[in-house]
Amino acid sequence: MSWMNIELILLIALPALTAVIMYFSKYFKQRLRNFFAITGAGIELYLIFSLFVVNYEAVKKSDFFLQYTIGYQNTPFVINFAMDNLSLLFSLIVTGAVFLIVIFSTQYIRDKEHRYFALFFLVLAAIQGSILTADLFTLYLFIETITIFTTPLISFKKTEETTRAAMQYLFYGITGGIFFFISMILIYFKLGTLKMAAVAESFSLISAPMQLTIIIFFLLALIIKLGIFPIHFWLPRAHSACPAPISALLSGVLLKVYLYIFMRLFWTMISFDFLVNLHLNAFVLDLALVSSLIGHIFALQADNLKKMLAYSSIGHIGMILAVLMLNTEAAFYGGLLHIIAHLLMKSGLFLSSGYLLQRTLSHHIDDLKGIGHKNRLVFIAFITICLGTIGMPPLIGFVSKWYVLLAFLKARHFFGAFVVGAGSIIALIYYLRYISQAYETVKSESLSLKEEFFSLREIFNSTNIMKTVIYIFTLLVIFFGLSYQLFELPVNTAIFELLNPQKYIELVLGG
Amino acid sequence: MFNNLIFIILFMLGFYALVIKTNLIKNVIGLNLMEAAVFFWVISFSDIGGKVSIHKLGEEVTKFNDPVPQALTLTGIVIGASTAALLLTLIIELNKFSGTIDRDQLEGLND
Repeated sequence: MSWMNIELILLIALPALTAVIMYFSKYFKQRLRNFFAITGAGIELYLIFSLFVVNYEAVKKSDFFLQYTIGYQNTPFVINFAMDNLSLLFSLIVTGAVFLIVIFSTQYIRDKEHRYFALFFLVLAAIQGSILTADLFTLYLFIETITIFTTPLISFKKTEETTRAAMQYLFYGITGGIFFFISMILIYFKLGTLKMAAVAESFSLISAPMQLTIIIFFLLALIIKLGIFPIHFWLPRAHSACPAPISALLSGVLLKVYLYIFMRLFWTMISFDFLVNLHLNAFVLDLALVSSLIGHIFALQADNLKKMLAYSSIGHIGMILAVLMLNTEAAFYGGLLHIIAHLLMKSGLFLSSGYLLQRTLSHHIDDLKGIGHKNRLVFIAFITICLGTIGMPPLIGFVSKWYVLLAFLKARHFFGAFVVGAGSIIALIYYLRYISQAYETVKSESLSLKEEFFSLREIFNSTNIMKTVIYIFTLLVIFFGLSYQLFELPVNTAIFELLNPQKYIELVLGG
Repeated sequence: MFNNLIFIILFMLGFYALVIKTNLIKNVIGLNLMEAAVFFWVISFSDIGGKVSIHKLGEEVTKFNDPVPQALTLTGIVIGASTAALLLTLIIELNKFSGTIDRDQLEGLND
């Protein structure tokens, strides 16, 4: 059995190394710094993609498995990294999105870039670590690392609003971390091990009240981190305060990572039957659906473009969590497809909102006036992605929402189906509000010849990588919508992992 | 059990300070109190009255305390210290902008 796959360590070490280089890049020229940043993210993407291509046959037969162990195998506490099809899928989509976000930020961030990129790559390292890890304590460490390193990124612009948002984010994140720690330590006291696979084998030995306690604390921790309804206040503030690429990272990428951790914990480690036995699955399902509805409704009243997008994120994440709780194959297919779709669409929307309103400090709806006339093509891209989020047929949002709807209907859960439809309709209303505002004609002050020349020169001087990234996201939304069958293989193998956790457990323990 | 009781009291005190108090510094203290309660509980539970798990090679040790919870707690303390530092930094920043560290007075400003 192959248990010394050094690639897994490389995947975590490479962004960390890039972060160190980026911190010292204040002595470099800007071009060299951008080169290092893009190369670092590019090598990461290349590594993960080559893992997929080299092991294509194994992935196809669903026996793809890589493992790396630090320490002795049979001790209770050992640092263990493992990669199966589910982690491969998440690692792949996350790294792809992060690569594009890095390219966008090379032009968007204009001061203190070295600090920005150092923190950004540390977050990437922590994300990869939390996806690849196979024991609980390392998972806890990486989750806390993500929370700590994203906080300075949220307050990057240093105004009162961003500082408050960052502080609130940190308070909630650390409270969630404490709950996670309690649950983890309870497992250690009861079972004497922290390896997820070993926990999975002997979780049924714990008495039922203790199982309930452990599961409730895990749920609390993850509900806080995911921003599900009763504890969602921090999310729109934090996600709207930060610079646009960080909004894309938090809303597009990080929420999916927490969803992955949710799946890892409640399907691989604690088998889903325990949730069903304790009658918690129906509770979480309804909570997620209510959260979805509330997120969409609050998006209606948000007067701030980024806040609206963040509330819409709450709506989508609630829907994905709800459909995953159905625990059927169709539900997993819809949920995983919507995870990919939402990752692409929300990152694209946040990046284009950052581009459209890069001159103004606030993102108020009035600032959008006439912006559709100024940057025509970018705004058309924005509308296209908006339509994808609503669920227009040729785009990927339609495909994923269709499968989610089918899963709800197959499970005869009509409230869920209603929420999917209602969410789309409400989303149509709040996106239209912004789009109509953008096409409002404004009386343009006639520029003097000199000023006009000035603005023209600005356009030609900038190479506009930012625009290119937004177009790439738009094209991906259209392309994957037309050929969503491309995801059939990775998604189906990931579903295989979710339905047969036994394979993961045996391979980790047998390593 | 006595340590359970102390854990509950400390944890609830911390939770009270985090949720009810409006002074942000008191909130940070509350958060740290919650962490400290959890760590205290872990350490007191893992202590079974045995020896420290570091011993000489030839020595026969029949009963020793589990070192893993202690290692976990040490790491947890490091995380707690760094988050407290980060939070206090943010509070200083906030004080520069708004001149207050009271949550209720902040709430009235915007939102």
